[in-house]
Amino acid sequence: MSSESDRRQRFEAIADEVFEPLQRYLRRRTRPADAEDALAEVMLTVWRRLDDAPSGVALPWCYGIARRALANQRRGMRRHLRLVEKIGSQPQQTSTPDTAEQGPDAELAAALDSLSDDDREVLRLWAWEQLDPREMAPVLDLSVNAATLRLSRARKRLAEAIAGQDHSPAGHRSVEGT
Amino acid sequence: MRDEIRERMARSDPMHSGVPTEPTTDESSRELLERIMSTPTKEQPVKDAAPRRVWTIGVAAVAALVLAIAGGLALTGGDETPPLADAPPLELTAGGEDLMASCIAFSPADLERVAEVAFEGTVTAVDGNTITMAVDTWFRGSEEASQVILNAPQGMEALIGGIPFEVGGQYLISAQDGTVNYCGFSGESTPDLRAGFEAAFPQG
Repeated sequence: MSSESDRRQRFEAIADEVFEPLQRYLRRRTRPADAEDALAEVMLTVWRRLDDAPSGVALPWCYGIARRALANQRRGMRRHLRLVEKIGSQPQQTSTPDTAEQGPDAELAAALDSLSDDDREVLRLWAWEQLDPREMAPVLDLSVNAATLRLSRARKRLAEAIAGQDHSPAGHRSVEGT
Repeated sequence: MRDEIRERMARSDPMHSGVPTEPTTDESSRELLERIMSTPTKEQPVKDAAPRRVWTIGVAAVAALVLAIAGGLALTGGDETPPLADAPPLELTAGGEDLMASCIAFSPADLERVAEVAFEGTVTAVDGNTITMAVDTWFRGSEEASQVILNAPQGMEALIGGIPFEVGGQYLISAQDGTVNYCGFSGESTPDLRAGFEAAFPQG
């Protein structure tokens, strides 16, 4: 059927656009094996929700799906750990990294670690995925204004955390609103 | 302005552009995408698409349903459960499925597809293998029943599908073929999950 082949064509076009950036997005945030699982989930969701895909650039929309897939994975892992503890087995060391490997810049890594998850995520989207607030908004389920504000505050807090390290090795967490 | 920070972060990107990724033209990528494109997009969620081990996941949401054949949606008039004044309780099987399997990303559209019944309810009793819930809101199906009985497998009553049922707790439950869907399609009532249910079943 022509609508079926249109559908395939549309999916393939989106896949060409997002497949590799999604691999980077996922592997920045989770272990390789989990990233591989999540990638398949995301692409399946894209296929099933093709009618909801934006007509232009699909990548931010797909990042939003990926963000939810990772959240689902983490929830599943937490549930599993709760069950394991309940049953009384040895709790497994799973080390699901919240932050991916941060590279050699230890000072920056420590500063990022001192921020909230929301701040870290908005900064990653900005610096790693190279998104601007307009593109981040659908990923984070925020309005463009809210995304702009969040990025600007997160940048400020990161700068403060880096500067703070010069004085206190442990870094500090700044208080919002200053 | 302060793009220095952006650049500094970009330099510590563990997946910078020099790290290779798999293009869609790779054989394994092609296989994954082809399998995805061969899955039904309506009514039936994925079942046979199983590229790599990956697919334990995709299927997990479905597995909850398939495993449930033991159940069967039973609008019983009360064998052992006394009927309420208004309508008989709805009985569902709470199958203890594979908690290791992760799940497909939640979407209201998927929930809508996998739920024959969906409601929000408060647990009124956890007794042996049976959890009794008072229905607060019906999103779909059995609107006349004010009570739902979840029959749990032995020993799983306290933690079905990873959901810690407690008396007084409020939960959002969806079910198909008489069996509760897990994998994010049922759970403690949170604003997020409730918003998902409301989006999947817009109320008039």
